[in-house]
Amino acid sequence: MAEREPVIGIDLGTTNSVVAFMQDGTPTVIRNRASTNLTPSVVALSKTGKMLVGQIAKRQAITNASDTVYAAKRLIGRKFSSPQTQDGVKSLPYTVSAGEHDDIRIQLGDKHFSVPEVSAMVLKELKLDAEAFFGKPVRKAVITVPAYFNDGQRQATKDAGRIAGLEVLRIINEPTAAALAYGFGKSVNGKIAVFDLGGGTFDVSVLDVSSGVFDVIATGGDTYLGGEDFDNRLIEWLVFDFAKENGIDLRKDRMALQRLKDSSEKAKIELSTSKETQINLPFISSPPGGGTALHLQKTLTREKFEELCGDLIAKTITICEQVLNDAKVKSTDLKEMILVGGMTRVPKVIDAVKTFFRRDPCKGVHPDEVVALGAAVQADALTSEDSEVVLLDVTPQSLGVAVAGGYVRRLIPRNTTVPTSVTEVFNTSKDEQTTVKIMVLQGEAEVAHQNELLGEFILTGLRKARRGEVEIDVTFEINSEGIVSVSARDRETGLQQSIQVTASGGLTEDELKRILEEQADLMLEARTGEEIQTRKLELKGLMKEVEELIPQLDKATQGSEFGQDAISKAKSALENARKAFDAPMLSKVNESMDTLTRTISLFKGVLERIK
Amino acid sequence: MAEAEKVDIPEERQKEILAIEAKLASNHFEVLGVSAGATSEQVRDAFHALSRKFHPDRFHGKQLGSFKGRIDAIFRRLIEANSILTDPAKRQAYLDANPFVRAAIRAATGTTAAHQPVAAKTAEEESRDAERRARLSRHPYLAKVTAVQDHLGKAKAHIAKGEFSHAFTMLNLANQIDPQNVEVKTLLADVRKKAEHLRSDTDYKRGLTALEEGNEDLAIGAFKAAVNASASNHLAAFKAAQLLEKNGGDVKEISIFAQKAVDASPMTVEYRVLLARMLELSGMKALAKKHFEEALRLGPDHPDVKKHVKKRWPF
Repeated sequence: MAEREPVIGIDLGTTNSVVAFMQDGTPTVIRNRASTNLTPSVVALSKTGKMLVGQIAKRQAITNASDTVYAAKRLIGRKFSSPQTQDGVKSLPYTVSAGEHDDIRIQLGDKHFSVPEVSAMVLKELKLDAEAFFGKPVRKAVITVPAYFNDGQRQATKDAGRIAGLEVLRIINEPTAAALAYGFGKSVNGKIAVFDLGGGTFDVSVLDVSSGVFDVIATGGDTYLGGEDFDNRLIEWLVFDFAKENGIDLRKDRMALQRLKDSSEKAKIELSTSKETQINLPFISSPPGGGTALHLQKTLTREKFEELCGDLIAKTITICEQVLNDAKVKSTDLKEMILVGGMTRVPKVIDAVKTFFRRDPCKGVHPDEVVALGAAVQADALTSEDSEVVLLDVTPQSLGVAVAGGYVRRLIPRNTTVPTSVTEVFNTSKDEQTTVKIMVLQGEAEVAHQNELLGEFILTGLRKARRGEVEIDVTFEINSEGIVSVSARDRETGLQQSIQVTASGGLTEDELKRILEEQADLMLEARTGEEIQTRKLELKGLMKEVEELIPQLDKATQGSEFGQDAISKAKSALENARKAFDAPMLSKVNESMDTLTRTISLFKGVLERIK
Repeated sequence: MAEAEKVDIPEERQKEILAIEAKLASNHFEVLGVSAGATSEQVRDAFHALSRKFHPDRFHGKQLGSFKGRIDAIFRRLIEANSILTDPAKRQAYLDANPFVRAAIRAATGTTAAHQPVAAKTAEEESRDAERRARLSRHPYLAKVTAVQDHLGKAKAHIAKGEFSHAFTMLNLANQIDPQNVEVKTLLADVRKKAEHLRSDTDYKRGLTALEEGNEDLAIGAFKAAVNASASNHLAAFKAAQLLEKNGGDVKEISIFAQKAVDASPMTVEYRVLLARMLELSGMKALAKKHFEEALRLGPDHPDVKKHVKKRWPF
């Protein structure tokens, strides 16, 4: 048998990303080159001008807050002026600006990147991980998106895949992928629900599964509700109390903000297993006009955490109610309930879900990996001859056009199985009119402007006639990926009408082309050997930096207990790094780099405060 | 030609695709290959089974040629059929608009789908339905089709109950909206005739009752009305003529009704004889002779012939 070209499934998450493939009929996660399953979706431009992706980028975030991008997924495909972006910008340590057509640009160093470009860096990292694993180039992938993503967000994700040098076979919905991984290879028959609360987005889907057919009946969600929002609640609480005590707004200091974010996330994770946790941030700030450095020290109980985030959890349950209602399914009709996403480890979330669905969630599904595994199943189903898997997904939001008076005419209601299309007749309203403008909207609001504007389509070159005489059939189509396209035809002449699309939000085709050209020379496939060599050089640099910092810190802390403890830890880290350098194992090298980066950021932070 | 095309689909599957493509214009049940009136569950199972074969993903990355369009169209049609038949409100609306399908269900199951329980609608479904109806009604073409189908459905219900004049009204409305609709036109002609017969028959019976009661004036009026409603009601025409003669009515008027009776039933001897006598009375001897001869030919032994014709022989 000829060996098949490898195809991968990628879960491009808000916080973490995972890549998987089909190994002898079993979906399997591909570990990254640092030997972990999860790759943080973090991209940074180091002080030395190097692009860092993943764990290494996350580790240096504190010392390099303004040039470290996380949670890019919360921005992808959105407009700069959208309320979500405006809300997000306030709590982001990196700089976000408006692009030419109200799109979002992220600043790294002195360069401005589009969001798909940043996401592409994460995808490329995953692609390289897969290539290191297979020992050959990987070109084809299935990428997942939240089910509630709209057309623009899906397009932008696909663009990111293209920029990363991947042929995106299919964009599929995360909860659907989870159901696929859960039901694959089992004889599951019946209705199942998937509750997916991730780092940045929330989805819930109800599926009807019957021998290999995964038929989504209804889906709902919120693309701006996830772990990040829980973290932000904790940060607000810490910042507010700190401001009350010391009169200082920590959010104004990017480094402090990044440290707050880090410790909030850690505290949240710890509270999943323990009843209370300590938040300890020494030297967080120095008071204006001099004086001793300020420390932030607080105890956070699980009760307090639940109180701070209670409304977020309630919001997910409201959406669940609506989806069950749409699916015309009672919770007792469900065969199984699957929890997906890191946030479903939070005890209060589990409790709320259990109470609402009146059942224990399914055990044996890994909440962080199941989506990537499902993507791998679909990737395999699309490329292999004998797959039994068929996905029938739905469009999460209604599609409509703006009509006179600022209202919406719904053309395709939400939860319609895709692919689907609808044809609508448009008339000219003036004599000799040669163009017709159509505004395509996505969303459930009755009023046009409260929906997402997918784009403005202008029918041009209409034949000249009296008003109302020219009738144009406009066909709106949603494909299997949930991506919308529009075509038009003159009813009488049968001529295809040209349509001009004015992009809103995402990248235009020209921009995408330019980016792809610029990247062409960077598209060379990585080789593991070369990779180790470069990483070793980087490690050497880091070791040197730590060695130089140790005497400085010693002097600054003047033999205090904290200082001595830190220095001895740094020395042992250096010792480990030397060992890793001699034994050329990529995972060990990466591990040491992480430790050293962490040490450097801590030392620098302390030195800066003491000075 | 599809046969000559080089496509990356097994021949067996190609045949299946062409076979289902040929069915696409049929009703939703037939497209899914289930019996008319199949339950939601049966519909969904059939849809899933067909999806396994015809979902475009099953042909991903293959050389499809003209089959690509076919497969896309088939799958879209399957989705449409499934989504309508598995949603109680949509199914109801579909059956209301398509009495043929409802008739097929009645034929297949012996029940009418109209009596199947429909789950109570939630407020949201109601509002969505209302929105859908409003949208449809805004659309001139759909509004026309829906209205015609609506009237047609009602008309058929009336026909089934024998209420031809109500059916006629409905069909007339439908015909005004869409004069091109062949079904409406043929039904309209048919129903018009039936409605006339019914009316004529009623008037005729009214006449007979009046006759029994001895009210001959009323009877004449009723029989005349019956003839006016339907020219083919020869019984009424003859009765009218007879009564008029008996009451010394105008010969011309009597011959008109006799003529109508003969026109509607040319083989009846009594009508001929009566007509001939009236013609003879009004001085049209040649015409009278022709009808006497015809009566003789039709029934040489008929009592009327013996009474009136034989004595005139050989004219």
